[in-house]
Amino acid sequence: MKAREKVLKVGLTVAVVVILLQLFLIQIVQHDSWVKRAEDEHIVQSTIKAERGEIYMMDGDQPTLVVMNESSWTVVIDPMLVDAEELESTLSKIIPKDKMVAEFKDATADKTRRYYVLARGLKRDAAEKIKEAALVGVYLKEGNARVYPEGQMASSLLGFVNNDGKGQYGVEGALDKELAGEDGVLKTVTDVNNVALSIGDDNVRVPAKNGKNVVLSVDRNIQYRLEKYLKEQMDSSTATHAAGLVMNPQNGEVWALANLPTYDATNYANIEDASVFINEPLESAYEPGSMCKTFSFSAAIDQGKMTPQTTYNNSGYMTVDNWKIENAYKGQLGTITMQTGLDYSLNTSSMTALLWLGGDNNQITQAGKNILYKYYHDLFGFGEYTGIELFESPGVITEPDAADAYNSRYANMTFGQGMQITMMQLASAFSSVINGGEFYRPTVVAGEVAENGDFLYQDSPESIRTTVSTETSSTMRQMLYGTRAYKRTNGTDKAGYYIGGKTGTSQGIKDGAYTFDETVGNYIGFGGAEGEMPEYVIMVKIWGDGKKMEGEKDAMPIFDKMSEYMIDYLQIKPGGQN
Amino acid sequence: MRNEYVSRRGTVTNSWSRNQNIVRHTTKRLGNLSLAAIFGMMVLIVGLIYATQSVKATNYDYELSNIEDEISDLEARKEDLAVEKARLTSIAAAENSQVASNMPDGKPAGYANE
Repeated sequence: MKAREKVLKVGLTVAVVVILLQLFLIQIVQHDSWVKRAEDEHIVQSTIKAERGEIYMMDGDQPTLVVMNESSWTVVIDPMLVDAEELESTLSKIIPKDKMVAEFKDATADKTRRYYVLARGLKRDAAEKIKEAALVGVYLKEGNARVYPEGQMASSLLGFVNNDGKGQYGVEGALDKELAGEDGVLKTVTDVNNVALSIGDDNVRVPAKNGKNVVLSVDRNIQYRLEKYLKEQMDSSTATHAAGLVMNPQNGEVWALANLPTYDATNYANIEDASVFINEPLESAYEPGSMCKTFSFSAAIDQGKMTPQTTYNNSGYMTVDNWKIENAYKGQLGTITMQTGLDYSLNTSSMTALLWLGGDNNQITQAGKNILYKYYHDLFGFGEYTGIELFESPGVITEPDAADAYNSRYANMTFGQGMQITMMQLASAFSSVINGGEFYRPTVVAGEVAENGDFLYQDSPESIRTTVSTETSSTMRQMLYGTRAYKRTNGTDKAGYYIGGKTGTSQGIKDGAYTFDETVGNYIGFGGAEGEMPEYVIMVKIWGDGKKMEGEKDAMPIFDKMSEYMIDYLQIKPGGQN
Repeated sequence: MRNEYVSRRGTVTNSWSRNQNIVRHTTKRLGNLSLAAIFGMMVLIVGLIYATQSVKATNYDYELSNIEDEISDLEARKEDLAVEKARLTSIAAAENSQVASNMPDGKPAGYANE
């Protein structure tokens, strides 16, 4: 009896010691590992997706949505589990063909795969039908897609959002950080049905910060009209591309920024020509041509070297560095005024302005080049980023001390060749020339729409610097007004309105050399009531591979129509009739 | 006549000793088993209360979860409607509408001289 008791006692003691050891091992030594396994079982950690900010344009004085969010679903299958025949017969009736990213046969061929994306961008009704079908091995993943109620309008300005939710090109790309917001975190205990429970001490909920709703200064009515007129001109000519912008010269706000052809941002992956993504007026630096005479003339007037009535001898060409630089227009030879030189866009007139800037009537001097560079680069901002909120190119302006700052290059620069600038740089500088001399940093952002729906205006832009004196500005307005004298005679420009502008036909570059086989047509101008300051600036550009486009014939008609529209849209009352 | 009252019960000392055995005091104690049973029942009751409250909380969680689902569903439908509204009020839709096609071309506005 005693022996059996002893055995029992020893046995029990051993059992208790084993249990205690096991408890020690689990609760002390392996504590963290078991806690983690328990948490993995009960606690779910998920990301609360921040809602991407929406994009508005102005519609008069009210913001209106042009880029919105919409729920969309991705269909994922597990090829190992699905019944291929049932899958195809059921889903082919529900999923639109353009949403399929793989053929049924390809998706189900490899039975060893456990994940295959079958379709993307499904709408709610299709997703609900798939849910109802309850097919084995078919899963729906909800996400967000961008929607463009205005269709392809302003596509290169707006950009798009790729499948990873990242903004690309245009506003979506440049303001991606502001639009994206910050994701939140949800960590909670769940039951077997995956329902979040309020029990537990470690529940964490960090709410997502939704992205900012950006309001662009671009007015959808002006944008629509500009694209319409650009398209009409393209259709009536051999041009394949066109771009344009409209801005307020009094504060630098951009009212329209167009680039044709446009593209369907919801179908960006299937676009073959990636050049359509480029926001031409900002990202493409080019030789603008004779529109630049506005700036070489402004510099000479501002330096007191000339007036519109100052005369010079137009021989039809000028020889610089042994290069014969000719006028495109062969007439008006002899002694003519600088106003005539501008009216006929004579290269000799702008080169003469450079001679005068340097203080030598016979040859281009270093002093002249220095002054021209100071105006072009330091004051007008050519060759530098404008500071607009979007992606842009800085362009290229050769410094006067550079090895390739030949006199011939500077002679070319007076009429917009031998340099590369963007349309936005040119339009911003042009605005300062005609607005009294104040340079405003161009902007496409007017403000934001708060969570409660209130429209919060951004601070009104302020002048960054003065480019030319008010007197020079006034003289330049008169000169540019003078170039359109025949437009008033033929009735294009209505009485009571003060409209001025300048053409530009720039040579294309083929294999590193200028060619006359391909030219770009440009026009920039301003408008407003007579006796008042200008209220709008419009710039257009039209071109095509191997096509000869001209400023007067191909670009100016777009300006004419757009200018008339702006007068009506802004309800500008005619002046000077009292 | 007596001038002094004398209690018949005698002095305080006398009465104390006389009444001391009127009530019989006995010490009653619960046994270990009873104590364990009572303790067990109390633990059970507290446990039941806890379980009831937990179930109640879980029920609320389910209700909350359903309501949240409904809210997100309604919000999604609201979004769909907002998109539809934006499409219908887009410039292209307005310009291509039946109403627009029946409208006469606009004439430039006239302005009265001041």
